[in-house]
Amino acid sequence: MKPSRLIRGENGPMFLVLLTTIVAVFLVELLFVRGSDITKVAFIKPMNISNVLMQISITGMMAISMTLVMVSGGIDLSIGQMMCFLGTAMAYMMKNVGLNDWTVVIFGLVLAVVFQVLMGFIISRTKLEPFIVSLGFMSMYKGFTYLITNGREITIGGKFGFLGKTYINITDDFRLGMPVIVLLLLCVIIWLVLKYTKFGRSVYAVGGNENAAYLAGINVKNLKLWLYALNGIFVAIATMASLSRMGTGNPLMGEGKEIEVIAAVVVGGTALSGGKGNVWGTFIGVLLLGCLSNALNILGVFPHWQYVLRGSLIILAVLLSYYSGQRASSVKSPVLTGQRSVAK
Amino acid sequence: MSEDLILEMKGISKSYPGVKVFEDFDFDLRRGEVHCICGENGAGKSTLIKMLSGAHLPDKGAIYFNGASVHDLTPRSAMMMGIQTIYQEHNFFPLLTVVENLFAGSEINNGLIISKPKMVAKAQEILDYLHSDISPHDVVGKLGSGAQKIVEIAKALVQDSRVIILDEPTASFSQTEIDHLFEVIKRLVSNGMSVIYISHHLEEVFVLADRVTVIRDGRKVSTAPVGSVTEQSLIRDMVGRDVSLFYQRAHFPIGEVVFEARKLTGNGVIDICLDLRKGELLGVAGMVGSGRTELADLLFGARRAVGGEILIGGKKVALKTPLAAIRHRLCYITEDRQASGLFLKHPLSMNIPIVSYVRTRTPFALPSTDVRESERYVKTLGIMTPGVFQIAMLLSGGNQQKVVLAKWFMTNAEIFIFDEPTRGIDVGAKEEIYKIMIGLLEQGRSIIMISSDMPELIAMSDRVVVMRGGKIVARIDKEGISEEAILKHAIGSDQR
Repeated sequence: MKPSRLIRGENGPMFLVLLTTIVAVFLVELLFVRGSDITKVAFIKPMNISNVLMQISITGMMAISMTLVMVSGGIDLSIGQMMCFLGTAMAYMMKNVGLNDWTVVIFGLVLAVVFQVLMGFIISRTKLEPFIVSLGFMSMYKGFTYLITNGREITIGGKFGFLGKTYINITDDFRLGMPVIVLLLLCVIIWLVLKYTKFGRSVYAVGGNENAAYLAGINVKNLKLWLYALNGIFVAIATMASLSRMGTGNPLMGEGKEIEVIAAVVVGGTALSGGKGNVWGTFIGVLLLGCLSNALNILGVFPHWQYVLRGSLIILAVLLSYYSGQRASSVKSPVLTGQRSVAK
Repeated sequence: MSEDLILEMKGISKSYPGVKVFEDFDFDLRRGEVHCICGENGAGKSTLIKMLSGAHLPDKGAIYFNGASVHDLTPRSAMMMGIQTIYQEHNFFPLLTVVENLFAGSEINNGLIISKPKMVAKAQEILDYLHSDISPHDVVGKLGSGAQKIVEIAKALVQDSRVIILDEPTASFSQTEIDHLFEVIKRLVSNGMSVIYISHHLEEVFVLADRVTVIRDGRKVSTAPVGSVTEQSLIRDMVGRDVSLFYQRAHFPIGEVVFEARKLTGNGVIDICLDLRKGELLGVAGMVGSGRTELADLLFGARRAVGGEILIGGKKVALKTPLAAIRHRLCYITEDRQASGLFLKHPLSMNIPIVSYVRTRTPFALPSTDVRESERYVKTLGIMTPGVFQIAMLLSGGNQQKVVLAKWFMTNAEIFIFDEPTRGIDVGAKEEIYKIMIGLLEQGRSIIMISSDMPELIAMSDRVVVMRGGKIVARIDKEGISEEAILKHAIGSDQR
């Protein structure tokens, strides 16, 4: 992909915002914190980049499937609490029932799919808003989590390390953790699915116009159902990575994740109304929010102020992408969007 | 500037990126006249309205209201000045009552508290003045579409408007509703109101207008008193060439029965029996609400039948979903292409191939094929677009309809169900759609065409069935098709 295409494409505006942010953070740290000594700038040290990638990987996995759900016009607020529920349930099974790793993996996936199919069934077969239904499930998951844990952590004693604690060392101080590799793999797979399959077209069609999609022969109800089920699978994978990394089933392990994920997806250019969005946009969104958190830590911003700054920057980023997107879509010149025109 | 002009536009130019919509356009409106504007879709009528209502600003030129030049018109300032625009789509709060709608945003109050009795009295006064039997307490969403239009006009009176702009107000009106609306307009005009009236129905122009302006491609072709124009001359001005009022179609040999419905019941229609032959166009006539669209939904599997059967090529088939119908090579061009035909936010390259993918059993889709196939249909159907990456929303009505057609052509459908194929499409593009339909018949495909447009039904149909109250009440053969025969059955005068 040529750089020019990156900038002019659908994700171009957000990509520019990401680049600008990175350069800005670098300059601020260089000039105001490290006294212009480039060797001391922590933000661009390979080890820090490895860490940022690791930190975004779990949010990233959930954001990919959330992109699918949101492109189809839905939303799922339950994912954070579902992570708490799945994580603690899996830890419980490992510690108190003594299931082995692979059985727990299957247990986690089945549990996630069963609940999400139930939720997808309700959303697709009734006229209820996915917002409300998933809000209900969110509360149910929270209840289950506390029923399982009674509010205490369940340690899993170093088991299950493969997914969270394996690294590929690329140089001495730059390494890719397994969750990062899984995230990249999932991104590529879903990108290909959206671009080159009938299923992908149907997701956009349903989000674009549900009526027209139905009359075009798409089984709208089942498509929605399977999207929520798929979302469950992705959350289960993210939960396993998180469980493995922390080594403990914490009842707060997914707390607030839904906000983080939805923010990243929206920053990445997915429309809340559906029909628009893509995986790489979401990837950029996740990366942008990850860099911001990291930068605020490095720059030593007082933690309470970090929330305020992060919130304002999310709004600013969405504003920027909205206005640049509007400009791009009002200029219809095929040359500018890099597209061929049709000879009359 | 002469004294009796309420509104004047001088030297207006307006362009959207890549398209010049208006160039050096002049227009004036006198006090107390109905000024009709005619033009094909895409001629610039809606842009004209948008500039007068403040939704869009002209790039160049001046607008004068009451002799004073106005700049930077916004929807609110236009309304405050006294220009009220009544759009084709309804624009009110359906769950509120008439009086609440009339005074939304301009409630009458006693100091701090809103005075309901005063508003009800004022509303009643206005409704009486309009000779309407609507009660101020009716919920607007429950009124008929004719009555809803009257409420919007009443709203203009509440605002003390001097100019009312009506855009295609009579779409889906019954004859009584049209008559009542015209009566209301005439009463308003006789009391000094000025009306800009936009319509595709030329007969309305002759009933209502004092003057007619024809616009084509953003330029004024003519402005003339209605007495000095004829239907033929207006159409000639609109399209820039002579077209016959009744489309002259070619006829082809009609083959065996390809599609048959027997005693089909459900979704508000009862005991429907009809058959369709190869190469035949079967017209479905009836008033709005007679069950025609409901029948089409049923034939296409979009709604389930509770009784009866459908036979395709002599074999009984179960059409429980649109997918099943598509696999039996049916297709359905719906009445409302924006709500149920197009993916407005998506480019043509996503709109056109979608059904073809759904129809096949392979799971894969190639963007390069999308583009190639879409470009092919853009060319064969003559869709006017800068390219296949244009989003469907930005095309004109006629071109949007062609995109819907392209979508179905790509599936190689054999049986076409058209619901109001030329609704909201201008004269020139209508003819193109007809040519495409005749082309289908020539290839031995069959068409069921629901239409409210009499000349269209009469000119295009090989046979006509007439519906009333969810039933087929008459079947008329080619020789017997006439406006009187169809109307007689559709409004039920044969029973009394």
